[in-house]
Amino acid sequence: MNSLGFLRRPWRLAAEASALVIAVVVAFPLYWMVLSAFKPAGEIESSEPRPWTLAPTLDSFRRVFGQQEFGRYFLNSLVVACAVVLASALIAFLAATAVTRFRFRFRTTLLIMFLVAQMVPVEALTIPLFFLMRDFGQLNTLGALILPHIAFSLPFAIWMLRGFVKAVPEALEEAACLDGASRSRFLWQILFPLVFPGLVATSVFSFISAWNDFLFAKSFIISDTSQSTLPMALLVFYKPEEPDWGGVMAASTVMTVPVLIFFVLVQRRLVSGLGGAVKD
Amino acid sequence: MLGGLLVYPIYQLGLISLLEYTQAQVSGGEPTTFQGFANYAELFADPEFWRVLLATVVFAAACVVSTLAVGCALAVLLTRVRALPRLALMLAALGAWATPAITGSTVWLLLFDPDFGPVNRILGLGDHSWTYGRYSAFFLVLLEVVWCSFPFVMVTVYAGIRSVPSEVLEAAALDGASQWRIWRSVLAPMIRPILVVVTIQSVIWDFKVFTQIYVMTNGGGIARQNLVLNVYAYQKAFASAQYSLGSAIGVVMLLILLAVTLVYLRLLRRQGEEL
Amino acid sequence: MKFAARLAAPVAALALAGLTACAPQTSDNSSSAEDEKTGTLRVWLFQEVSSEPKEKVVDKVVAAFEKAHDGAKVKVEYIPVETRAQRIKAAFNDPKSAPDVIEYGNTDTAGYVKDGGLADVTADFNAWSEAKDSDPTAKTSVTVDGKIYGAPFFVGVRALYYRTDVFEELGLEVPESLDELAATAKQIRAAKPDLYGLVVGGAYTYGAMPFVWANGGEIAEGKGGSYASTIDSAAAQKGITAYTSLFGDDNCPAAKCASMGGNDTVTAFAAGKAGMAIGGDFSHSAVEAGKVKGKYAVVPLPGVKSGSVAPAFAGGNNIGVLKSTTHRTLAVDLMKRLASKQTQGELFDAMGFLPTYTDVRGEAAKEEPFIKPFVTTLTSGTKFVPASPAWAQIDASLVLPTMFQEVVSGKKDVAEASKDAAAQMNDAFSSAG
Repeated sequence: MNSLGFLRRPWRLAAEASALVIAVVVAFPLYWMVLSAFKPAGEIESSEPRPWTLAPTLDSFRRVFGQQEFGRYFLNSLVVACAVVLASALIAFLAATAVTRFRFRFRTTLLIMFLVAQMVPVEALTIPLFFLMRDFGQLNTLGALILPHIAFSLPFAIWMLRGFVKAVPEALEEAACLDGASRSRFLWQILFPLVFPGLVATSVFSFISAWNDFLFAKSFIISDTSQSTLPMALLVFYKPEEPDWGGVMAASTVMTVPVLIFFVLVQRRLVSGLGGAVKD
Repeated sequence: MLGGLLVYPIYQLGLISLLEYTQAQVSGGEPTTFQGFANYAELFADPEFWRVLLATVVFAAACVVSTLAVGCALAVLLTRVRALPRLALMLAALGAWATPAITGSTVWLLLFDPDFGPVNRILGLGDHSWTYGRYSAFFLVLLEVVWCSFPFVMVTVYAGIRSVPSEVLEAAALDGASQWRIWRSVLAPMIRPILVVVTIQSVIWDFKVFTQIYVMTNGGGIARQNLVLNVYAYQKAFASAQYSLGSAIGVVMLLILLAVTLVYLRLLRRQGEEL
Repeated sequence: MKFAARLAAPVAALALAGLTACAPQTSDNSSSAEDEKTGTLRVWLFQEVSSEPKEKVVDKVVAAFEKAHDGAKVKVEYIPVETRAQRIKAAFNDPKSAPDVIEYGNTDTAGYVKDGGLADVTADFNAWSEAKDSDPTAKTSVTVDGKIYGAPFFVGVRALYYRTDVFEELGLEVPESLDELAATAKQIRAAKPDLYGLVVGGAYTYGAMPFVWANGGEIAEGKGGSYASTIDSAAAQKGITAYTSLFGDDNCPAAKCASMGGNDTVTAFAAGKAGMAIGGDFSHSAVEAGKVKGKYAVVPLPGVKSGSVAPAFAGGNNIGVLKSTTHRTLAVDLMKRLASKQTQGELFDAMGFLPTYTDVRGEAAKEEPFIKPFVTTLTSGTKFVPASPAWAQIDASLVLPTMFQEVVSGKKDVAEASKDAAAQMNDAFSSAG
């Protein structure tokens, strides 16, 4: 790809300069978050905010990590997020193949349903879900967090993945069939690698939603604190009435960093992935 | 099987919205009774509901339009620059995207804090409070929403533009078409499927904005001036334990979203696009 | 695919059963028939700003309890106050994860009883020798329809904190009436523009209500068991006007103060940003820890007439036993121990929580002069929120803060805002019965 050629030089420089400026503006809130996390308490609440600090300190982080069983919460969060990512990727892959490769009755209806399911305000559903979980005996377990997250991240995952499966030429399947490959062989050895970038892209969404959730955690983990997750532990610092800005920012940093790492790891695949998802 | 998985939540939502279902019923203190459309009648008779509905629609529309405009403009910009600035912008955008909504909201609040925030200092606004006025509070939330949702649009549209053969663009440029014209007559039509998905997703997400409003305006703002439907439903359901009213609001939201999406898809189909 | 299979079954069942038969689940929350004498009791108490002294007192009680009952264990958990409503409601809905004994705010009593969560302990309470010294206000706060649902744990009242150094410097007198209070507040602000005169909050209901009560207004009046709101009466409107007129550039700018709650105002005062504040006995430790330590004093909030005291809201917490407990006898005993005279005396020393027994409180006041203005406030008469199950809902839907904020931000005038608030309350009262 080379769309640079036809752009004249001063224009390109202007474009690059503005891209850099915008990048700085976009990154500024993140910078400020990390900065505030390292500032000593007195400096955050000064009326002359400075964009640097001369006395970086780990005090705020110490307060965050000093919470009971912090490591355990971190691990719980990781377990939930990974389980959701793996399960929803697998189910979404199979389902997306089904809705694109097979023509069956209600196919369009089903597609619309995937859209509709995304429109349901999850907040209004915690109560019925609470009872569902109770009846399955899943309250106070990580299962109570994993199951609903899978259910709510699936529609979007299937919806996005459809484009990938669609992009794989049908001729390929026929060719594979002629070569004597079984259906499941085609599915796993040919189709799966081809749509893998798409799976990565959709996984990002499931990962973020599972990692960031505190609504379900708050509602379904009632009495067993050893099953609590990271956002729950960090919520302690979000007191609207007497904000401990240092603690909040340190907690936010802790919460954002794993997602950022995940993002950077999949960055390349993400761009090609999202491109494919929507290239019908 | 999959259908059931998706139908169940919607079914529950619809069912509860037709019942008298408050905390007393939940904990078994009183029997659940069937109310028909009484909950909806109560809702529609409440002027606050209409006020919130209007605010939600206007706010969501503003968010969608700004997000799409910013996202598309930056996507085009990305194709015009060399690798280094592109990487910088991409990474910054991914950072914004990766930030959890609750975290993003708090950081933006701190940035605009009247006492400790750098923004007022830079703009020389003294201790102007951004969350006091209805419109300035909505504007602040809008900025945060755009900040955390434009990366999705930008990355997706950018990926789409890359799939457009560059000869087409060069030909257009040689013909002396302006940037705007190239976008309008060449790019936009070619990546229309992408724009469709991005628009539908933005509409769905922005209509359901919850965390940002909840955190940044402290649950709906001064005298509930910044309520949007989702927060309103949550407050009805949880704060007041009127689960049925909350569900009724949820159903109304669902129907509005559905209507918007279907009208949009119908328009597209008329232009020869397939779902 | 396990999850899909799991979901498919109930979905199919629900779909088959048809609309009327498949109402959403409710929990069976009838009281448990079991009354085990051994096992583990779960206790939920509230987290405080600094819980440590409280935990020490509680640990002592628990140790004595476990010694007295062989084979009984107690597990105490401190839950955050902000999210208590959800936790406790969830506990009512799932007896398996529910605790046996809880601490709860006294404004929540009627609501929890209606939700069917608290056990009726009338007989145990009346047979308890210490209970007769409970002060009547505290006893009302555990009573619904003549039945008792817990034991009072502590009471909280609010009074006027003021900066002695600022008053001295400006030559000000301690205000003796609400009018003087407003005038003094404006004088402070005029002389020291970086201070709020009297820091007030638009969302600070219990700081605002004394103004209404002092002017003769009421939130609601009970008529034969049911309530009707009177927040729009002429007297109440006068009180609302008095409170909301304190928001403005000449005292506490609306842009900042309209969104404040009780804790914000105390935090501002403790940080030395205000000349006066309305704070509770429970705010004492927070103020002591702030910048103004040693530079403030407390007096009862004055009423309309010079020298009178404005009626304060009698807040506080209770200890209750959950209906679903399987250890009723043990749980009741633990409740009594937690709310006993001895524990309350120790908690007062540790946390400054005002005891609910008149005699214990009298002794405390003798020891600790700081507590005097609060005891004076208590004895000059306190008010309580309507003892209706609807109150929890009214409180949670922020009817009163919204009303004050509407007036403060100029969205509505006092008459209109109070009329709308009254209508909303009446809705709640009539639907909650």
